[in-house]
Amino acid sequence: MPLAQSSTSVPVVVNDDLCIADKGCTVCVEVCPLDVLRITDMADGRKTAHMEYDECWYCMPCEADCPTGAVKVNLPYLLK
Amino acid sequence: MNNLFEDFNDIEMLAEDLQSTDAGERIMAVIELTDTADPEVIPHLATAIRDQDINVRKQAAIALTDFDGVSTAAALVGALSDEHAEVRQAAAVSLTELKDPDAGDAIIPSLGVDDEFVLVSCLAGIKELRRADAMGPAIEALKHHSASVRCEAVNVIGWLQDKTSLPALRSAAGDNDALVRRAALTALGFNKSDHAEQILVAALTDSDWQVREAAAETLTKSGSAGCVPSLIKLLEDEYWQVRLKAVRTLGKLDARDAATLIGEQMTVPVPNLRKECAAALGVLAVSDTAKFLEPYYDDNDPDVRKNVRWALEKIAHTA
Ligand code: SF4
Ligand code: SF4
Repeated sequence: MPLAQSSTSVPVVVNDDLCIADKGCTVCVEVCPLDVLRITDMADGRKTAHMEYDECWYCMPCEADCPTGAVKVNLPYLLK
Repeated sequence: MNNLFEDFNDIEMLAEDLQSTDAGERIMAVIELTDTADPEVIPHLATAIRDQDINVRKQAAIALTDFDGVSTAAALVGALSDEHAEVRQAAAVSLTELKDPDAGDAIIPSLGVDDEFVLVSCLAGIKELRRADAMGPAIEALKHHSASVRCEAVNVIGWLQDKTSLPALRSAAGDNDALVRRAALTALGFNKSDHAEQILVAALTDSDWQVREAAAETLTKSGSAGCVPSLIKLLEDEYWQVRLKAVRTLGKLDARDAATLIGEQMTVPVPNLRKECAAALGVLAVSDTAKFLEPYYDDNDPDVRKNVRWALEKIAHTA
């Protein structure tokens, strides 16, 4: 799987301000059937989820199950 | 014994996290309490569903899907009036997952409210609990101005499978909303009386094709030979979906008089309909209907081919 080049150019973007990975949340990582999401340390020492591999089925549980609404899956135009 | 104490302590520690000033920590407490799968956590989730933070309340409403019983139902019914639609919606979904009939104790009192969302959700929640005392409120809800409420009320009545509900279902079958009429006709499936059949036969000429389809489908379960002439007329319906259900029911009712008309439907370029016609012709096994099937021996659709070959064999065997 191709590694994601930047966390904002991939289909799944996480709002770091809303993400509570810092408190122990790993819901999106656990529900992703492709295992492409990871929890990572940010520069300020907090944790956040991000898309590690630029691969996606657009199946949506990461967005639907995130308890804070931090995950946004950007559906390609043809899938909308 | 030790384990019991450890579990209790875990739950109490997690419950303490629900008092945190940080909403993220309270969400995690809800998630971890849910993961224990221990019904002891229900009172804590019932508290969390009234949290000041919308995400905590929503998570608690989702979490209660994993639990059952009257306390769970009471917490969910309360959340149906939450100020935030996402919480209300999550609570409504969780209510439909309840399986314990006792949970109905917390839902029945709300079947008398006028609020459309609360009423629809409570009717949807009580449906599968099959509580006999839901019949009265459900019949009353058939008078509600909202078609969604009337539809759910019909579903509750249908699940109860009580013959005394026939007058209510007859009235719902004449509702001005097609969805309510459809639900009523489907609910009549358990009732094999002449009265129920009369209602279903009358609905075969409904102005809405999906209502006609529902009536024909229900007759597959409960119809008698008396409805065959009306079903034969339905073979001229402009919607193939309606004709398909008529064909299925005619086959089930062993309506050999309809075999030629069913055979003539084989020319319709809809594989699903051809498949159903072939199956019905096989069941009826009328010898001079083989000519309708033979051209489709190598039909492009594998299911049609399979049914055609089976039907031809059946007819040959019967001849
Ligand atoms: S589910 Fe949401 S809050 Fe939890 S780690 Fe993923 S993005 Fe963060
Ligand atoms: S949409 Fe599906 S495949 Fe893509 S990141 Fe989310 S869970 Fe994984």
